Amino acid sequence: MNSITTQQKRLRSRHRSDRRFKYYGMIAIAFALAFLTFFFVDIISKALPAFQQAYVQVSVNYSPSIVKNYNTAIDKNDRKLVSKTFLRTLPRKLKAHPELLNTTQIEWALANHRVDQYLKGHDGHGLKRKDQKYVDELFKEKKIELNFNKGFFTNGDSKLAESAGILAAAIGSIFLLLITMAVAVPIGVMTAIYLEEFAPDNRFTQAIEVNINNLAAIPSILYGLLGLAIFINVMGVPRSSALAGGLTLSLMTLPIIIIATRAALRSIPDNIRDAAYALGASNLQTVWHHVLPLAFPGILTGSIIGLAQAMGETAPLLIVGMMAYIPEAPTGILDATTVLPAQIYTWSSESMRAFEERTAAGIVVLLTVLLLLNAFAVWLRNRSQKTW
Amino acid sequence: MTTADIFLWFAAGLIPLSAMAYLFARKKATTLEEIHGSLHSRPGFYGWYAVVRLASPALIVGFICSMFSMFNLIDIPGSMILGTAFGLGGISLWFALKHIRHDFRARQPVEKAMATLLMLAALISILTTLGIVFSVLFESIRFFNIVSFWDFITGTSWNPDTAFLIGAGRDFGGAKPEFGSVPIFAGTFMITGIAMLVAVPIGLFAAIYMSEYASHTARNRLKPLLEILAGIPTVVYGFFAAITISPLVVQAAAAVGLHADYTNALTPGIIMGIMIIPFISSLSDDVIRAVPQDLRDGSLALGTTHSETIRHIVLPSALPGIVAAFLLGASRAIGETMIVVMAAGLRPNLTANPLEGMTTVTVKIVEALTGDQEFDSAFTLAAFALGLVLLTITLILNIASTIIIRKFRQRYE
Amino acid sequence: MKKQIMAITALAAVSFFAHTAAQAAETIQIVGSSTVYPFSSYTAQALGETTKFKTPVVESTGSGGGMKLFCAGAGLDTPDFTNASRRMKVSEFEKCQANGVKDITEMVVGYDGIAIAQSKETASINLSRKDLMLAVAAEVPSKDGTHLVANPYHYWNEINASLPHREIRVYGPPTSSGTRDAFEDMILKHLTKKMDVYTKLYKADEKKNKAYKKYHKIRQDGVFVPSGENDNLIVQKLARDTAALGIFGYSYLEENSDSIAPANIDGVIPTPATIANHSYPLSRSLYFYIKKSHIGKVPGMMEYANLFMSEKMVGDGGECTDIGLIALPKAEREHYRAALKNLTNMTADDFKAKH
Repeated sequence: MNSITTQQKRLRSRHRSDRRFKYYGMIAIAFALAFLTFFFVDIISKALPAFQQAYVQVSVNYSPSIVKNYNTAIDKNDRKLVSKTFLRTLPRKLKAHPELLNTTQIEWALANHRVDQYLKGHDGHGLKRKDQKYVDELFKEKKIELNFNKGFFTNGDSKLAESAGILAAAIGSIFLLLITMAVAVPIGVMTAIYLEEFAPDNRFTQAIEVNINNLAAIPSILYGLLGLAIFINVMGVPRSSALAGGLTLSLMTLPIIIIATRAALRSIPDNIRDAAYALGASNLQTVWHHVLPLAFPGILTGSIIGLAQAMGETAPLLIVGMMAYIPEAPTGILDATTVLPAQIYTWSSESMRAFEERTAAGIVVLLTVLLLLNAFAVWLRNRSQKTW
Repeated sequence: MTTADIFLWFAAGLIPLSAMAYLFARKKATTLEEIHGSLHSRPGFYGWYAVVRLASPALIVGFICSMFSMFNLIDIPGSMILGTAFGLGGISLWFALKHIRHDFRARQPVEKAMATLLMLAALISILTTLGIVFSVLFESIRFFNIVSFWDFITGTSWNPDTAFLIGAGRDFGGAKPEFGSVPIFAGTFMITGIAMLVAVPIGLFAAIYMSEYASHTARNRLKPLLEILAGIPTVVYGFFAAITISPLVVQAAAAVGLHADYTNALTPGIIMGIMIIPFISSLSDDVIRAVPQDLRDGSLALGTTHSETIRHIVLPSALPGIVAAFLLGASRAIGETMIVVMAAGLRPNLTANPLEGMTTVTVKIVEALTGDQEFDSAFTLAAFALGLVLLTITLILNIASTIIIRKFRQRYE
Repeated sequence: MKKQIMAITALAAVSFFAHTAAQAAETIQIVGSSTVYPFSSYTAQALGETTKFKTPVVESTGSGGGMKLFCAGAGLDTPDFTNASRRMKVSEFEKCQANGVKDITEMVVGYDGIAIAQSKETASINLSRKDLMLAVAAEVPSKDGTHLVANPYHYWNEINASLPHREIRVYGPPTSSGTRDAFEDMILKHLTKKMDVYTKLYKADEKKNKAYKKYHKIRQDGVFVPSGENDNLIVQKLARDTAALGIFGYSYLEENSDSIAPANIDGVIPTPATIANHSYPLSRSLYFYIKKSHIGKVPGMMEYANLFMSEKMVGDGGECTDIGLIALPKAEREHYRAALKNLTNMTADDFKAKH
C-alpha cells in the first residue's frame, strides 16, 4: 500500500515537472513575443507625433525687398514661429509668380520646431514665455494647426527639424539596393551554380565552401574596413557614394545569397537532371533550361531576405563615409548618398529634441519596408513549396 | 576622361556591340541551317560564341588596364584603352564569324567559357576573404611596429590620448600612449556574456517548445514571429536600447539602491541577447529535430515522461549541435556594432560590475575611424589591429562550430 | 517574352549608366570638424534652398581627418572645403603644398564655447578652472603640494571647501573628439604648465617625464565618463543624473536650455557676449579652408563661402548664432570678408604670427 502511494507521489511529481518543463518553453516564447510587442508599442508611440506637424497662418507681404532679405516678408512676432525653410522659398516663389509683387497674402506656413514641440506638449523647448502665450492665443483662434506632416515623406534631410524628411534617404536606400542586387545576385547565383552543378569535388572547391561559411559569420563592420581599403583607397570610388556603399553591401550579402541558392538548387531532385541528360542536353543546358527555372522561387526568396538584411545595415556604411549631411537624393551612382539606417543614426545624434520623434518615425518607415519585404519572401516560399 | 567615364563608355559600348554580335552570328547560323540542314549546335550557341569571342579580349584588356591604373603603374589615356579593347574584340569577332560553318561545334567553347565564368564568380568570395584579411593585416602590421603585440594583448590600460595628440600634431611632450586591449576585450566579453545569458535559456527553451510540444500550425506561426527579432536592423535596436531600456535599467538599479551608469553594459547585453534569440532557437530547433525519432520512441516506451525524454535523451544527443549554435550566437554578439556604439560606453573599463559603462572592440573601431583624428595616427591603426583580433575570434568560433556540427551530423547519418 | 525582358533590362542598364555620366556636374564637398559641422551643414542647406546650386555635401570627419582628405590632392574628387576647430598646422600645410594643393584661403567663422553644464534642477555651481582641473586630472598635487598623487577626490567639497558636498561625475567627450582636445588645452595644460609640482618632474628628467611638461592626463577611474559623439544622449543623461556635470559644445547648451544649465567658470556664465569678449575662458576659434583651384570648376563655391561669411549667417544675431555659433567681433568679420574677396593665399609665414 505504502509503496504504491510513494510511487504515485513520485509519478505525480514527475508529471508536475513534465508540465513545468513545458511551461518553461511557453514562458520563453511568451517573453520573446512580449518584448516584440513592447518594442513596437514603444517605437510607434514615440514616432506618432512626428507624423503631425504644426502649421501657422501668417500674412506674407510680397514687397520687392524680400528678394534681398526674406525676413521682411513676415511680421516680427510671427517670424519667431515660422520655419526658416518657408521664408527661404519666398524669393523664388515671387520670381515664379510675379503677379504677387506688392500684395499681401494670407498663407499657411510651416511652423518651426520650437512651436511644433511646444504644441506637442514638450514644455517650452527653447520657446520664450512670451511666445508661448502668443502661440496659445493663435492656437485658440485656429491660426496654428497640427496637420499631417507631408514634408516628412517629400523632403530630404534638413538641419531644421521641422523640414527634415526621409525622401533622399529612401531613394538612396533604393539605389544601394539596386546596386547590391545587380552585383550580389548574379555573382551569388553563379557561385552557387558552380559549386552545386559544375565544381569537381577537390580541395579548391572545399576551400571555397568553408570560406563561404566563414564569410557569412564575419562581422559587418569588417566589410566596412574592406570597403574603405579596397573600393575607396585602392579603386578610387568616391567616398559616401552609392557605388562605394553598394559594393560593400554586395560583398556582405553574397554569402547569404550563395547559401540560399545552393539550398534551392539542392532541393531539385536528380530525376529532373537525369531526364534532361537522357535527352542529350549538356550540363549547361540542363541547368539553364530545367534546374534554374525550378529553383527560381527559392533563389528569389533567399535573395530578398539577403537584400532586406543589407537594407537595414549601418555599421559598414559609417566606415565608407555615409554619416554625413546629404540632403539631396542621388541622381547617379557616384553621387553622395545617404540611406535610411544611416539617416536614423545621424538623426539620433542631433541635439534638437524634435529629431527624436523623427528618428522613431524613420525607424517605423524602415521597419515597415523590411517587414513587407520579409513577408513577401515568406509568402513566396510558402506558395512555391513543392514536395517532389 | 575620368575612370568612371571610361567605365561607362566601356559598358555602354560592350552591351550593344555584344547584342549585335549575337544577332548577327545567330542569323548567319540560321541561314547555314537552311542550306545545310541542322547544324552541330543550336543557332543560339553560335550567337553566344560570337559574344564570347568579342567580349573576352575586350574584358581582359579592360581588366589589365584598370589594374595598372589602379596601382598607378602607367597612365594610359582613356580613349586608347577603349580603342584597344574594342579593336581587339572586333578582330577576334571577325575571326569568330569566319569560324561559323555548318560543321563548326559552337557549343563546346561556349560551355567552357560559361564554366570559366562561373568559376570566376566563385573566386570572388575567396577574394573577399583575402581582401578583408589584407585590409586589416597591413595596417595591423604597421600598428604592431609601433606597439608590441604582447603589450597590446596583455596590457590593462588603454590610453591612446597621446597617440591622438601626436597624430594631431599636438605632441607637446605627452606620456607614452598605452594600447593595452584587455579592458576593451573585457567589455566585449562582458556584453557578449550577458547577451548569451539572455539568449541561451530563452532561445533553447523556445526551440524545445517549438520542436517537441507545439503543433505544426503553431510552429509555423511562431517561427516567423520570432525571426522578426533577427530582422530588426541593429541601428533600431541601438536607438531603442539607448532611449528606452537604458533609463529603465538605471531606474531599476536605483530602486534596489545601486548606482548604474547610463552607458552600463547590461543594456546592450540584454538587447543583443534578444537579438540573437532567433539564431539560437532556429539552429537548436534544427538539431533537435534531427535527433532520430527512434531514440524518443525507445525512451518513451520505457515509461519516461516527455520532459524526461527531452532532458535525458534528446538534449544530450543534440548537445553538439546546440553548442555549435551557441558559438555562432556568441560570434554574432562579439561582432555586433550599432547596438554598442549607441548604447554602450566609450571608456575602457576593467570591471566585473555590469552596471558600469564598458566599451567594446567594435565601438573602438568606429570611434577611431569616424572621430576627430589624423588618419595615420597609432590610434587609427589600432582600429585595424582590433579588427584583426575580432576577425580571428569570429573565424575560430565559426570554424569550431562547423566542425562540431559536421561531427554531429555524421553521428546520425 | 524572356528575350524582350532581357533586352529591356540591358537597355535600362545602358540608360542608367548614360544618365550617371550626364550627371557629372560637381557637387560641393565639405569635410572636417564635427564642431563646425552643424554650422557648415546649416549654411549648405541655406545655399541649396535659396539658390539654384545643389546643396553641398557635408561630412563630419574630424579636423584631422578633414585635413588629410583636403590635402590629399587637387583633383576634383577631393574635398573643396575643410572645416576645423583648430588652425591648420605647419605639417598639414606642407603636406598640402607637396600634394599640389598650393592655394588655400583661410577663414574664421566665429567662436565655439565649451560649456560645463548640469541638470537644471541642481543648485548652480561656481567652479574655477583649477577646481575642474583637480576634479578630472589623473594625478593631482598632494595636500601639502610637494608631490603628485593619484586623484583622491570624489566630492567637490574635498577640492574646495566652499563647493557643495556633491559627488564628482563628469560626462565628457571621448579622446577622438575635438572638444576633448580643446578641453584638455584650456583646462589641464593651461594650468599644469605653470604648476611647479608638475613641471619640476619634467625638469628632473626631460625624457622620462615628458608627460609632465604640460600634464593633461584625464583620470580613468570612472569619475570622468567619456560619452560618445552622441551629445543628445549626454544631455538626456544629465537631465536624469542630477549630480553630474557634462562637457560639450555651447550649441548643445543653447538647444537644451530647458533641461540643462551652465556652471559658472571663474565666475563667468557662458553667453555669446562673454565668449566673444573672451571673458569666458573656455572658447576657441572655428576655421574653414578653401581650395582655390576648385573655384570655377565646382559651381557655387564662392556663393557658399560668401554666404557662410555673410552677416546674415555669422553676424550678430545671424542664423548660425541662433544654433550656437558665437559671432566674431565686427572688425574681424570684415577683415575675413575682405580676405575672402581677394582670396588671400595662406603662406608659410602665416604660421609664424601668433594667431
